[in-house]
Amino acid sequence: MASESTDRVELLQGTLDLIVLRALDTMGPQHAYGLAARLEQVAEPSLRLNQGTLYPALVRLEQKGWIKGAWQRTETNREAKYYSVTKAGVRGLEKQTERWRRLAGLVDKLLLNEG
Amino acid sequence: MASLRRFFLRLANALRPGRAEPDLARELTSHLTLLEDDFRRRGMSPEEARLAATRAFNGVEQTKELHRDARSFRWLDDARRDLRHAGRLLRRDRLFTATAALSLALGISANTTIFTVANALLFQPPAGVVEPDRLVDIGTSGLRGGFGPSSYPNYLDIRERTTSLDGVYAYSRFPQAMSLGGVGTDVGTESVFGSVVTINYFTVLGAIPAAGRLFGRADSDHPGASPVVVLSHRFWTRHFNTDPTLLGRAVMLNGHPFTVVGVASEGFHGTGVRAVDVWVPMNMAAAVTAQAAATLTDRAAHWLLIGGRLKPDLSVSQAAAEMDVIGRTLERAYPEQNRGTGLRLMASSPVPGNGGPMVAFLALLIVIVSLVLIVACANVAGVLLARGAARRQEMALRLAIGAGRARLVRQLLTETVLLFVLGGTVGLLLARGMVSVLVSLLPTLPFPVDLSLTLDGRVIAYTVGLSLLAALLSGLAPALQASKADVLSGLRNDPGLAGRLRLRHAFVIGQVAISIVLIISAGLFLRALQRAASIDPGFDPRGVELASLDLAQAGYTKTTGPLFARELVDRVRELSDVQSVTVATSVPGGFEVRREALAVPGVQPPNGRFFTVDWNVVEPGFFATLRTPISAGRDFTPDDRAGTQPVVVVSESAARQFWPGQDAVGKYLSQPTHGPQGPTNPMQPLLVIGVARDVQSSSLVDGVARASAYVPLQQQYVSSLTIVARTTSGRRITDQLRALLASMNPNVPIMTSQTLEDSIALGLAPQRVVASVAGGLGIVALLLAAVGVYGVTAYAVARRTREIGIRIALGARRTDVVRMVLQEGLSLTLIGAGVGLTLAGATSHVLAAFLFGIPPIDPLTFTGTTLLFVAIGVAACYVPIRRATRIDAMEALRYE
Repeated sequence: MASESTDRVELLQGTLDLIVLRALDTMGPQHAYGLAARLEQVAEPSLRLNQGTLYPALVRLEQKGWIKGAWQRTETNREAKYYSVTKAGVRGLEKQTERWRRLAGLVDKLLLNEG
Repeated sequence: MASLRRFFLRLANALRPGRAEPDLARELTSHLTLLEDDFRRRGMSPEEARLAATRAFNGVEQTKELHRDARSFRWLDDARRDLRHAGRLLRRDRLFTATAALSLALGISANTTIFTVANALLFQPPAGVVEPDRLVDIGTSGLRGGFGPSSYPNYLDIRERTTSLDGVYAYSRFPQAMSLGGVGTDVGTESVFGSVVTINYFTVLGAIPAAGRLFGRADSDHPGASPVVVLSHRFWTRHFNTDPTLLGRAVMLNGHPFTVVGVASEGFHGTGVRAVDVWVPMNMAAAVTAQAAATLTDRAAHWLLIGGRLKPDLSVSQAAAEMDVIGRTLERAYPEQNRGTGLRLMASSPVPGNGGPMVAFLALLIVIVSLVLIVACANVAGVLLARGAARRQEMALRLAIGAGRARLVRQLLTETVLLFVLGGTVGLLLARGMVSVLVSLLPTLPFPVDLSLTLDGRVIAYTVGLSLLAALLSGLAPALQASKADVLSGLRNDPGLAGRLRLRHAFVIGQVAISIVLIISAGLFLRALQRAASIDPGFDPRGVELASLDLAQAGYTKTTGPLFARELVDRVRELSDVQSVTVATSVPGGFEVRREALAVPGVQPPNGRFFTVDWNVVEPGFFATLRTPISAGRDFTPDDRAGTQPVVVVSESAARQFWPGQDAVGKYLSQPTHGPQGPTNPMQPLLVIGVARDVQSSSLVDGVARASAYVPLQQQYVSSLTIVARTTSGRRITDQLRALLASMNPNVPIMTSQTLEDSIALGLAPQRVVASVAGGLGIVALLLAAVGVYGVTAYAVARRTREIGIRIALGARRTDVVRMVLQEGLSLTLIGAGVGLTLAGATSHVLAAFLFGIPPIDPLTFTGTTLLFVAIGVAACYVPIRRATRIDAMEALRYE
């Protein structure tokens, strides 16, 4: 039971990073709350996102040098940290997307054959 | 790239947290504010909106944890926090930190010191030798075992017959002092230590040259054919400044020209511990050794140690079995020279044939120093336990807010480890000094030794490992105890008290027991030394100067040598301060005792054909100079010279053995004459002219005098001599002797100089080292144990203040209080003493071999030590007793 849930988290982790990177790429600079709102909007109800889980994903991407955070003011004049995709991030996104596609294709194929 | 970058950023975050945490807090606040704004826009009141936002976000603290995990390495981050915390605690309690670290430092440095020696002797592979674990030593064994040298003819036979060894080489047992002079250049003559080796010596060892070549195919075994020499790298560096032009040049060794062909690789000195300056091929032995030409042909001349390399896939025991057979064969083939002599083969050791005793001695020292470390650890553990008790509430609180027990244990262990790292570092520094103290306990050796007592990587790794192990052992129990504080009982008064007290009492009992073992061991060795000193050695060692030289170095012969020796004695006698002087081939306590086979007409020796005696060749005045009484007959006179009746003086034990109950003076001994002809040599009769008191000849260790015979130098010349001079003032006269010799013949350098007292001290070196080590460390352990007893007693008094107060209020007298406290402290001491005495009784039987007949359960040592510990126990209780008797009844009742 425990190991099963760990597996799920790990699977989610990798994909979550990709989803966040992709979302930032299409939306332009965005803060964590905006990002969460957007993801919930797009993916609801298939994805139940705990907003807190975005933070580890953001720090991972930031440490890889794929996104960059900067403090700015929102339209409502609140301060928030806006993340934007870097050049390395664009390249990373391409590579990761490609990899994801290949992996998804492979899993699909295997599942079909098994079935 | 990206993941590498992430790795380093995580590492950096773990080591230096920086702004990440406050930044995250700010971001999360902003997130919640935005969420709140949204809810308000949807029409909630500010209050509702805040609650809804918090609920929707679902766990700020969890998010922070997740973030920490992602941005840094959790375990590293924790370790850093623990370390900082521990550092703060240790700084706060400076007295505890200092005493604990110091006692640990002493324990650790003692261990490091002994390990340094063990490392040099056991673990450091001999430099420049290929696969040293495939090498073996071959020696001869007599009727009583032993491991002695062999002769060149025997060596040749062994080389011929063995099938289990790939290569067999031989080398002179003791590096010989030789005089070295330059050719053409005026560098002056000096004494160097040279080893005579077979030409395959370097090849079998796998040595490579640092310059030029080593002995090999180009050299010949034919006597006199290869006047070449190889220098040690150290000697080349020290004396010739690594001068490459030296190769191919000639030097004079003992007056004979030799060509320098090469330099051995750096650090190479064969498999032993003795330092060598030059190597000379076996075929040139006659030119450089004292024993003249017979050395390569005389099967009875035992002066070579043999070594070999095992063939692949053969074990030492297989080779040893074969060597045993070869030994028997050679004994049958040459009964005259080899009777009673077998061959032994053992794995190569820095001290050939003595690997076992050396390991046993080092193991004994390691046990002693480990005991001290255990005592130091127990001390620290005891104090940690007490501190753990004081921090019970802190622990309970941390457990309550959700810290895991493992996490707490880890934090407490971090404190201990930090303490031990501190102790280990100081210990490592102390060890440098202690190594030189240990070396200074050893008397000066008459030959140079190449033993690298350096704190190398292995020693440092050992110290670090030992510190960590000790920290774990002494920190784990207190840490487990302290972290046991469970939330519920955290506020109760004394949870887990009984268990903690039991553990602490056990530590103190252990400390007392171990210190008793140490003190008793030291005491036994001191008694043994005392006994050795009380044995009448048969001579007076005080104020006697020794200087050894070898006349063969300057080319003296059988005819010129005795004349020079006589003149030398006369000239030394004229020096101021000199009371009496002689020369002799061996002196009491010396390492190199010459044994000689003799026949006694009309008496059947118990084994074989000969009696064996310690053999000494002396000038007249030997007995007077050593103050050894002549108990019958007369001393030698200048008239006992070549061409007159060959005479001999025997020792009392020899006289008793050969002619029990009879007057030895006037009897004859038969001495086989040496020569290449072997067993057909005629016997020479020696007239006994005197009987001398027994001299403890080889060393004082066994306290048994062996049969000895003395003959005059003028009749039986030997070139290797020691000047024995008794001075009136007891001052050293080495410089005067050196100057005198230089004026007589600059080619005769003094090889070694020593006092007779130093010389005889060598035999007792193991006892002296153990007594000093065990005694010094025993005192440290004793003090630590006293501190332990004090701690427990003081704690007991503090804990029972109320009870004592009530007793005093109810009319208890001072003596009752004193008795109560004493009981607490002394019961631990006595239990510890009981355990310790039992242990000491068991161990002293193991030590019996070193004790010269002191009974292992020596009453003086055992009662003395017990009384000492009772006294220490009482002393440790003094302060707590004073505190207890001054307890004010009223105040005590208000306590808490």
